[in-house]
Order: sequence, then C-alpha cells, then structure tokens
Amino acid sequence: MPPIGELTILIPVDISDPEPPPLDVLDVLRPFEVVLLGYFPVPDQAEPALIKHEYEADAQTRLDAIAEGRPDVTDILVFTHDRGATIDRVADQYDCEAVLTAGDTDHIESILVPIRGDVNIERIVSVVAELVRGSRATATFFHSIDEDGDPSQGEYLLRGTVERVTEYGIDADRIDWQLAEEGDPYSDIVALGEQYDIIVLGETEPSLRERIIGDMLSRIIDDIEIPALIVRDIE
Amino acid sequence: MSSDGGELERTLGFLEAMTLGGGTMIGAGIFILPGIAARNAGPASSISYAIAGLVALLAALSLSELATGMPIAGGSYHYVNRALGGLFGAIVGWGMWTGLMFASAFYMVGFGQYIVGPIPWLDGRHFVIALGLFGLALLIGVNYYGTDESSALQNVMIGTETAIVLVFVAVGLFFIDTANLTPFAPTGPAGIIGTTGIVFVSFLGFEIIATVAGEIKDPSRTIPLSMILSVVSVTLLYVLVMLVSTGVVPIDVLGDSPIPVSDVAEVSMGTIGVAGIAFAAIIAAISSSNSSILAASRVIYAMGRDGLMSEWFNESHDRFYTPHRAILATGGVTALLILLGLGVETIIALLAEAASFSFLVAYLLVHVSLVVFRRADPDEYEPTFELPGALYPLVPILGVLLTVVVISQMATIIIVIGSGIIGLGIVWYVTYARTRTVGSGLFRDAITSAPGEPYRVIVPIANPETQHGLLRLAAATAHANEADGTPELVAINVLEGTRDAPNQNIESKRLEHQRDLLQNAHVIAEEMDVELRTRAIVAPEISTGLVEAIADEDADQLLIGWDGVLGEGAYTFGHTIDPVITRAQCDVSLVKLVEESIGTPVALVAPGENAETVVRRAFEFASVDDTVPTFLYVQPPAAHPGGDTGTAGREILGDIAEAAGLEPDEYDAELLVSDDIETAIPAAIDAYDTVCIGLSHRTDSTGILYGAFTEQIALNATGNVALVRGTVDISDR
Repeated sequence: MPPIGELTILIPVDISDPEPPPLDVLDVLRPFEVVLLGYFPVPDQAEPALIKHEYEADAQTRLDAIAEGRPDVTDILVFTHDRGATIDRVADQYDCEAVLTAGDTDHIESILVPIRGDVNIERIVSVVAELVRGSRATATFFHSIDEDGDPSQGEYLLRGTVERVTEYGIDADRIDWQLAEEGDPYSDIVALGEQYDIIVLGETEPSLRERIIGDMLSRIIDDIEIPALIVRDIE
Repeated sequence: MSSDGGELERTLGFLEAMTLGGGTMIGAGIFILPGIAARNAGPASSISYAIAGLVALLAALSLSELATGMPIAGGSYHYVNRALGGLFGAIVGWGMWTGLMFASAFYMVGFGQYIVGPIPWLDGRHFVIALGLFGLALLIGVNYYGTDESSALQNVMIGTETAIVLVFVAVGLFFIDTANLTPFAPTGPAGIIGTTGIVFVSFLGFEIIATVAGEIKDPSRTIPLSMILSVVSVTLLYVLVMLVSTGVVPIDVLGDSPIPVSDVAEVSMGTIGVAGIAFAAIIAAISSSNSSILAASRVIYAMGRDGLMSEWFNESHDRFYTPHRAILATGGVTALLILLGLGVETIIALLAEAASFSFLVAYLLVHVSLVVFRRADPDEYEPTFELPGALYPLVPILGVLLTVVVISQMATIIIVIGSGIIGLGIVWYVTYARTRTVGSGLFRDAITSAPGEPYRVIVPIANPETQHGLLRLAAATAHANEADGTPELVAINVLEGTRDAPNQNIESKRLEHQRDLLQNAHVIAEEMDVELRTRAIVAPEISTGLVEAIADEDADQLLIGWDGVLGEGAYTFGHTIDPVITRAQCDVSLVKLVEESIGTPVALVAPGENAETVVRRAFEFASVDDTVPTFLYVQPPAAHPGGDTGTAGREILGDIAEAAGLEPDEYDAELLVSDDIETAIPAAIDAYDTVCIGLSHRTDSTGILYGAFTEQIALNATGNVALVRGTVDISDR
C-alpha cells in the first residue's frame, strides 16, 4: 500500500463542556494535518438548529480558544444527535486517517501499538510510520497470543510488522516489538499504557466474543490514561 | 482556517423515518378506534379507514414535494407559512400543536384502557385516567431529562408492535365469520364518511417525518419514500385489522368494548392473544405519544424561528439541552385534556376527532400551499420530488375536496371545538405575531404577473448592516438607469455548501441568512425608493453561486464589495472575486468603500474597452450625493512633438462621455499632462472622495489584466475605489 504522506488526524472535542481541555497534544502534532472537530451533542428532544441558535456563539468561542495560536488547524463546529456519525462524516470529508481520542499529552516519545493481525494492519503500519517520522519517537508493537495460540506465529506477525515499518524508510532501531504469551490482552495493554505516551489502535469490527462481552477497543479507551489514536478502517 | 458557523448534522435514516412515520401511526388509533368505528359504520368501517388513507396519501404527496423543496423543521406549518403568510401560518402552527396534544391525550387514555381492560380487578374510568396521567408524566419526565440516540429503542418497539399486529391479522383471517360481516354498511355512506373523520387521527404519523425534515438524512429521497410507503402500508394494515375485527366479533359487542382488538384476539388466540395485543397497544401508545411530544417541540421551534411564537418557549435547559419549557407546556395541556376524561364519557372519540379536525384543516392548507408555490415559483423552490404532470393539479384539488367532505361530516361539537382552535390561531396572530414576522407569503407572487423588464443590479451581501453604503451606491446606479427599466436591486447572500447535502441541514442556515437579509433590507429599500429583492442561495462555491445567480436574474450590473486586499499566488483578487469578474455576463463594479460618503467621484479615463463604463459609473455614483463627477484624462506630454495634446485629450474625453450618453454639463473634464504619472495621478485624485478606474479584460491567466499602476492606485487611494468593467461577450474568448 502506498505511503499516506501527510498524516491527517481528526480530534473530536465535546464543545458543550464549558471548560474543554486545552489539548496540549495539538502542539505535539504540529508536523501533521489536524482537523479539530468541536461537536455539540444535541438530545433527541431538541432540533439541532435550535441548540445551534442558542449556543453557537459560546461554542465557537471555546473552539477558537483551543485552536488559538495554531493557525494550521482546521476547526469545525457541528451540532449533532449522533457523535459517531459526525466523526465518520467529517473524517471522510477531510480525508483523516486517524482519530485521536481520550487523554492529553505534551510530548510523544514512545508509542504503543497493540496489533491482532487484522486486515487493517497496513493502515496501522503507515500511520505509525508517519507518526514516528514526524515526531522522532520510538514505537513498540505489542501482540497477545490466544490461550491455544502458537507463540512463533505471534513472533512472526510482530517481526513482519516491524519490517513493514522499516520499508517506509524508518530506522529499525526506532521500532521494537513485544509478545505476551499468556494473560488477558486488555489488562496487559492498559498496564503497558502507563509506560507510553500514546497508543495507536486499529478500528476494526469487533469479534463475536467481543460483541457479547463488550467491545475491547472501547474498554481500553475508557480505562487508559494516555491519548489513543484510532486508525480508521476505510476499506 | 476556522469554520464559518456551526454545521447541523442530519442523523435520521430511512429506517428511522419509517418507524417515526409508520410507528406513530400504529398508535392507539388501531387498537382503540375499531370499537367506535364499528359502532358508527359497521364492517364498512374498513372503507372508512381506506378513505382516510387516501386523504393521508394525497396529503403525503403534496407534503413530499414541499418537503424536498424545503427540507427543514416545521412540516406543514412551515410550508403554509411561507406560501400563505403569517395568518395561515399561525392557524396551522397552533392547529398542529393542539392537534398533537389532543392526539397525545388520546394515546394515553388508550394506554390506560389497555391496562385496565384485561385486568379484571382494575375497573373504572378513574383508573384509566390515572394510569394515562401516570404514563404521560413518565414520558414528560424522560423527555425533559433528554435522551440520546433513542432511535434504536424506537426501532425495536415499533418492530415488535408491528409484528404482533401482523400475527393478529394473519391468525384472525381464519376466524372470520362472514355472518358478522353482513349487513356490511348499516349506517350507509354518511356513517362511513363520518367515521373517516374519527379514524383520521390514526394517520397522523407520516406528517411527523416532514416535521423533523431538518434531521432526515438524504431528505430528497428519504422523505418522499418513507412518507408514501408508510401511509400505503399502514392503510393496508388498518383495512385488514378492521376486516378481521368486524369479521371475528359481531359489531355490537365490538362497539361496546374499550379494548376491541384485544377482545378479537381473545377469540382467535385466547389469553396469549389478549396479552400480546395489550402489550402491543401499550408500547404503541407510549411510542406514538413520545413522537407527538417530539414533533410538538419542533413545531414550536419552527414557529419561534419565524417570529410566530415567543422565544421563551424555545429556550433550552442549561444542563440537559432539551426544550424543557415547550415540553412542559405540551405535557401540561395534554394532562388537562386527559383529565377531561373524568367528566366526559366519550372522551376518547372526542379527542381523536378533534385531533383529526386540526390536521385535516392543516392538510387542506398544505394542498393550497403547493399550488401557490407552483404558481409563484420562487427561486429557492427546487423540489427534488415533484408531482408528475398527471398528478398535478389533480392531487391538491382532490385533496382539498376530500378534506372538505370529511370535515363536513364530523360531529357538530368537534366543528365547534375545531373552529375555536382556528380562532385561537387568528387571535394569536393578530395580537402577538403580526408585528414580529418578517416577510409575507408568496400569495401575491402567485397571482400577479411579472412587471416589465427592470434594470437590475445585483449586490452580494454578507452583512446588510455594514454594507449599507454598497446598497446605496447600487440604488443610485439603478435609479440613474431608469430609462432602461424599473430600478431593481437584488441583494444576494451565498452560502457555501451542497444544496442536497445528505448529511447536513444547510437549509436551516440558508433560511436564517434569508431572514437576516430580509429584515435589514426592507428599511433600506424604503429609504432609497427602490425595488429590493433578497435571495439566500446555496452553492458549492461562492463564485459559482454568484455567476449562476447573475445569469438566472438576467442582471444588468453586479456591484460587489472589495476589502482592498489582493489575492495570493495565481489570484488577482481572490478565489471568489476572480471567477466572478471573468465570467459574469454584465457590467461589473468592484467597490472598496472606506468612507460613508461618495462625494465627488473622479473617473480615470484612458482609451480602452471600459472607458465608457468607467465614465458612466462615475456619473451614476455622483448622484448619491448629488455632485458633478470629474473625468480625468491622463497622458504623458508630447506624444506628437509640437502637437497640442490638450485639445486631442479633451476631444477623446468628449467622445467617450458622449458614447456613454452624457451631456457636457453633466461632468467636469480635466486633463492631466505629466511624464511622471505615477506620482501625478495619486496627487490629483487625492482631493476626491471616490475614484473609478477601469479593469481591463484582456487575458492573462486569470483573464484580468490588472496593471501595476491600477493596483497602486487602488491600494493607495485614500478614498473609495471602484474598479469597473463593462459587459463582456463571453463568446469572444
């Protein structure tokens, strides 16, 4: 898959919050294209135009305050019933490869990338490559094997992924990998997350098990404290 | 780059629209009314439902066209308001709100009846009313607090109740005893039509799709498809339910039952049937009532938007962001209506029929509005769904006729109540709304024919308050050309976006801009004694929108404001102005206004294509402050050694002025002979308040030859600057 080139990142912010976070991460992401989406969640009972009429001025001021001093950032204000639908639409409109959620940081030096050998791996790899290239950070790929899985398969996946990253011209000593042969991937990732500055996750269809037990992706994002960059699965 | 105002996301897809429409329709209407319908019309009541379905279908067709032309909140109210003006808007707005409240009360009494009915030890109307109030209180509470993305739950509820009804019909078909079906129509046609009025409330749901049109995704397709499909499928369902009900249970038994469908289910499916129907009836009542509350708040919002309702109602809650006042008001009146049931025996029939009346009147006016829109054909009316030639004007005419027939057969008490509601709307309009609404309906446009060819000046306006000066200039220009036609100004505001954006509600913003323009424009138009029209349009790019509008309007001149800043890179002025200057097929004046007063204008004249126009504009602008323009002809000394450059210069000036249709006493001629024109000219024009220069249209990459010299003057002049070009014949390129 050809390199993405300019990495475009979408950052959604709940702009109805009277004190939205200052988002220091915006400064860290300067090498990249950033689209700042201020979404205002509108309950079903209200016509979005009504809420916009009342709160647009305040919301726009808050959005401008976040984007202040960062003229390259594209900022958009949307009044919506459905946060997810708006994020998808805006991400499509502005060709965003990834969505940044949760947490804030003022530096990116170490990146954690849990992978599962999904179809999305190519996109994840190219996003990580761009991220490393632009931020001079190091990245660690992490994989956890199923109970009856084969450790060598896991290692094969990880080594292969590392190699793919180097194909983008990234120095091999900036990339590392780690294999967990047992244990619950969810808690491993959350624990590991404490040692890193940012986590990159691929957006994928949840597996059947996950649909029943709960979407692991959401659980990780809820519990982890560092920002999560979600790579969109567009195909 | 920052956004120019918030966007509005459309989030309701086809499935949501269907459940909103169809689901609301399958409310208490189909579970409660069969009893009353059977009593009033016997087995022929299924025909009543069919006729009501036809009336609904006709209304759905007219509404579909109007809704795709204006996909914005308000439904029937909005279209009637725009077509027929504030008075009828108030009537329909109030009619819809009260109609929805009557319907809600009807659903909740039905809810009460279906809990009380099957349970043997729970008896008496006070229980019914109490339960109805309780259910309403819960609903109001939930809506006050606010819900997010409840559409998934709604889909499940509607799906379940529909499935149960389908099973009921399927099983019931086997239990039909044809003896019950004769005599088929014991009360004759009058009874059938009279019953139509009562059961029409069962068809209210499709309207709600139009009421929330601002939130429907891909409205051009979704709205007509879901409205028509929901009416047709629900009508079929109703007819079948009625046939099964009147076939399985004799009409006198059916007519006396407060839970008729449940009784039918008892015969065909025993206790399970009763439980199933009761369950379906209860969720149906809740979901329909919920939709009515949501729709009511949209109507109140739409009325507030147009100045027909106090903004107080539309203020949203600080924390929940719900329109809590509108919700409480709606709930309060609905509760009162439910309470009436304590005193009124036939409360259910009364509530149902009153709701039907309000909406029948509304749909009558909707049909009229469709005709008005078609005849007036305003520029912004571009419906993606149009009634095909064969159906227009058949549909609106038939629609009006049928509604009149149905209304005429309604009970007298209902006509009295209904007329009272109409009266309320009229009183409200006269006392409150008349002074606050902006813009009258299109009725005038529909019945008058177009005047003679005007002299039309187009002025793109972003903010009418600050662009007062621009409009004054445009008015002066238009007046000066009175010989060519009635002076007319068209103030245009272009919104960037796609007209049919499937996921964004652009129409709402467009309407807001339109309203702002209108409000400010009236004052100006009166002051300047000129015809002023306003248009807010949506185009993918501002320049495209303007060029199209100019062609559309067959404009004579474009007067566009300029902030005095040059464009970057390949652009001379900027990505908006450049294409307009190259492609607009009319005279173009690019005006930088730094002072309010135009004063005495000076025109810099040089032989060329635009000389006439430059001179003409200067003359027209002079009329603003009633001054005499100066035409300044500049040339380096001694082009011909020994020649008298002065005379030659004056002659050229005279020729140009004559060609522009000006008499020598209408201007002052000045000659400037200097070999350092770069310093001489700025000094010479400094004394004037406004300078007019020509824009060449010989081509370079942008098609605008804008010499460094002209640039220097334009940028450095202390007063107002107008860059002028005449009409270009594009075929020359």
